[in-house]
Amino acid sequence: MAEIVMWVSVQELCQCGGFTEQIIIEAVDHGIAQPADGNNSADWRFDTAGAHWLRKAVRLHHDLEIDWIAISMVVDLLQKNESLKRQSLAFEQQLGRFIN
Amino acid sequence: MDFKDYYELLGVAPESDNKTIKTAYRKLARKYHPDMNPEKGAEEKFKEVAEAYEVLKDTQRRAEYDELRQYSNQPDTGFEPPPGWQTNNGFSGTESTHFESDFSEFFNSMFSGNGANSTQQSRQFRGQDAEIEMPVFLEEAASETSKLVEYQIPVYEDGQVKEVKKSLKVKIPAGIADGERIRLKGQGGYGQGDAPHGDLYLHIRLVPHPMFDVEGHNLVITVPLAPWEAALGAKVTIPTLTGKINLTIAANSRAGQRLRIKGKGMRTKTGSGDMFALLKIVMPPTTDDEVQMLWQSLSDKSKFNPRADWSN
Repeated sequence: MAEIVMWVSVQELCQCGGFTEQIIIEAVDHGIAQPADGNNSADWRFDTAGAHWLRKAVRLHHDLEIDWIAISMVVDLLQKNESLKRQSLAFEQQLGRFIN
Repeated sequence: MDFKDYYELLGVAPESDNKTIKTAYRKLARKYHPDMNPEKGAEEKFKEVAEAYEVLKDTQRRAEYDELRQYSNQPDTGFEPPPGWQTNNGFSGTESTHFESDFSEFFNSMFSGNGANSTQQSRQFRGQDAEIEMPVFLEEAASETSKLVEYQIPVYEDGQVKEVKKSLKVKIPAGIADGERIRLKGQGGYGQGDAPHGDLYLHIRLVPHPMFDVEGHNLVITVPLAPWEAALGAKVTIPTLTGKINLTIAANSRAGQRLRIKGKGMRTKTGSGDMFALLKIVMPPTTDDEVQMLWQSLSDKSKFNPRADWSN
C-alpha cells in the first residue's frame, strides 16, 4: 500500500525545478498560496492544492517571463475559471434531471 | 538523434535579433502553455518552443548552436555533434532553472555535458512529479476505500526515454472531495543518478452519479412527484448513500422546493454534509377518460391563474 501525504514542505518544493525559498515567499506574499502551517518560511508546509498552485505559478513565472503581480492575477482567474466550469457542469446536470 | 531547427520552431529567420526571438517565443508560449491550453499536444509543442528559446535567448549559447547548425545539412541518418565539439556554456548559473530536465536528447547532448568530448559534469535532477486523474465513485468516497492505480512514467536510460508501467494500491481517505489532490511520495518520475524520485499526485474526480448531485459536502436528489402528491402531500421512500429513508412531503409543495435531510450528505473529515431533496412535478405520460374528466372538473373549479404576474 503506497503511503499517501496531503502536504508538501518548503524543502521538498525546493527540490523541484525552479523553486527557491525566496520564490515561495514571493508567491505567498502575492496570495498565490497560503501555508497550512509553520511559523517561519523554512518550516512552512502547504496542502496539496496550495502546492499545485505554487507549481503552476512558478512555471508561469519562468515560462512566460511575467512578474508576480501578473501571475497572481492569472492564478486568480484560472482558479475562478476552474470553479465556474465545475459549477456550470453541476448546474447542467441538475437542470437535465429537473426538466427531463 | 534528430537535429532541431530552433529558428524554425519559433518561426523566425536565423538572422533575427533578440527582440524578434523574444516576441515570437512569448506569442507561442501564450498559445501552447499547458496551464493556459489544456488541449492534447499543446504541452509537447510548448516544451519544444521553450527549449528553442532557452538556447536562442542567450548570445553565447546561440553562437554555439549556430556553429553546430552548419552540420545539420549533412546527408546522413541522424545528427551527431562534430568531433571535438564542446560547450562552454553548461547550465550552472542561477538564471536558468531546473526545467531543462524536460528538454530533448538533442539539447542535452549540446548543453548539459553529455556530448562526446565534453568535460562538463552532468547535473543530477530530481525526478519529475506526475499527476493523473483518479475517478472515485460517491459510494467509495463515503468510506475509506483502496484503489489500484495503474500509470506509466518516462524513464531515461542510456540517453533514451522508455515508458515504464507501474501499479500501486492506494488507500483513499473517507470524505475525499472532488478536485482534491493526494500526494504519493517518491512514486513519480525517476531521478537522474542518485537524485530522489518525483512524486505522483492523484487528482480526485468524483464520477457523476445516476441519482445524486454533489454540492460541496451536500448531496442533492431530484424527487419526482405526481401533481396530486404535491397537492395533497405524500410519504416517499428515497435512496441515500447508506440506505433508504422515508420522507414526508407536505401538502401544497412546489416544484423546485428543497427539503433538507440532515447528515445524509457526503462524509467529511469532521462529520457529514446534508442531503437535499429537490422536488419536481411530473405529469403522467397518458391519461384515460376518467382521469381526464377529473382534470376538467379541477380546471372548472379552480380559480388559480399561474400567469397572474404577467397581467401587471
